[in-house]
Amino acid sequence: MEWDWAFVRQILPTLLAGVRITILATLLGTVVAAVVGLAIALARRSSNRLLARTVGFVAEFIRGTPLLVQLYFIFYVLPDAGILLPPLVAGVIGLGLHYGTYTAEVYRAGIDNVPRGQWEAAKACNLGTVQTWRHVILPQAIPPMIPALANYFIAMFKETPLLSAITVLELMNQAKSVANTYYRYVEPMTLVGVFFLAISLVSVMLLRWLERRYGRVEH
Amino acid sequence: MQDTGTLGRAACAALALCLAGALPVAADEGKLEALRAQGFARVAIANEPPYTAVAADGKVSGAAPDVAREIFKRLGVADIVASISEYGAMIPGLMAGRFDVVTAGLFMKPERCAAVAYSEPILCDAEAMLVKKGNPKGFKSYADVAKDASATIGAPGGGTEEKLSLDAGVPRERVIVVPDGQSGLKMLQDGRIDAYSLPVLSINDLVKKANDPDLEVVAPVVGAPVYCDGAAFARGDEALRDAYDAELAKLKESGEFAKIIEPYGFSAAAAMSTTRDKLCAAM
Repeated sequence: MEWDWAFVRQILPTLLAGVRITILATLLGTVVAAVVGLAIALARRSSNRLLARTVGFVAEFIRGTPLLVQLYFIFYVLPDAGILLPPLVAGVIGLGLHYGTYTAEVYRAGIDNVPRGQWEAAKACNLGTVQTWRHVILPQAIPPMIPALANYFIAMFKETPLLSAITVLELMNQAKSVANTYYRYVEPMTLVGVFFLAISLVSVMLLRWLERRYGRVEH
Repeated sequence: MQDTGTLGRAACAALALCLAGALPVAADEGKLEALRAQGFARVAIANEPPYTAVAADGKVSGAAPDVAREIFKRLGVADIVASISEYGAMIPGLMAGRFDVVTAGLFMKPERCAAVAYSEPILCDAEAMLVKKGNPKGFKSYADVAKDASATIGAPGGGTEEKLSLDAGVPRERVIVVPDGQSGLKMLQDGRIDAYSLPVLSINDLVKKANDPDLEVVAPVVGAPVYCDGAAFARGDEALRDAYDAELAKLKESGEFAKIIEPYGFSAAAAMSTTRDKLCAAM
């Protein structure tokens, strides 16, 4: 096995283009997952039993099936129903939906952790539903959620190579195409690992900071 | 990587010589012996009929594996065991020792000839494009795809068609890497790509199976050369390759070669009219 630095320099720009798409997909997926998760969590708490049950079932279904299968479904099967999404959009929706079902549980735990007395106190103060959520519940529920949410987003980042299956030219796909052209796997795959590790480590440092900053609930 | 491999083998051979003190036995002949003892050879295929095909019951057929099976039988290796691989992963996999030989319609090109040890030509074919009915963008060549700034073309990653498209000036982002034939067909039907390029016989097979009247085949692609594949061995296995070539030549001469590949639509005469040296020479 030989490591060829000249080859590394040659392929670096291609891989960096892939890193850009990987990060973009993760950021967009994070936004979708955060919103979808909140929507699922709220719907499951709804007093409308039908809505709560339906959303609950769908969330369980998505959580119980592999992301790769979902990506294939969104990319290759949905067009039969007339829904034709560009690869990156399909990938972001797949990642966002899949991780949205996980983040929903984080939201649920966060909301359930707000003591019952707070709800009663809000009611006693004659606060409306919106006011209760905005001024009493969410400010107490969100901070403890942040580290757990961030954890899922880092996990999502590491799942982005799956998008190469639906022709998104992210880091893994770029590395594969480099390997296909030059018949060498050593450098491209090592660099993929290095890029992921570097970005993960930075994210973990950020996560630690978030934990210190928000991890404690102040009573 | 290659160099150390060859060196290592040379060292082994030298060591074996010293130890045995017998007739010079090349390490490469040891490879064939090992395959005989093992009873099978590992081949890489792509599941792209008619080159390579895997039936629903898992049986491997297709022109390339059928030829390989027959030749290995004659060499005393009872059977072949095939693993499906992406085209791009075949040569790296061969180098990494995951397969003994690639029999998948991997066309001979100078850079591939430099990377692997090819047998003499086996299957020859021209390039084709699958497009929507009536060829709305009027593609005749890869250069036509390059000229239309909105056109996208699908091709197997690391395949000949991908390189031909890029060489014709189609920018990287408009050459969509398609994992397999079915995906390419689906992406064309869905309008994700404007053309899907594979060799003529593969496209014809795909169209026959798809049975979709809204598709049309452009064949052969203007300006694209006729390519031939060969069985690809790892560098260092030249002795095995030479043994393979010897049996292949006998097969060609006896007419059995034609009997194996012509039912699949390939021309035996085309493969016999050219040689590895010609195909590997820079074009």
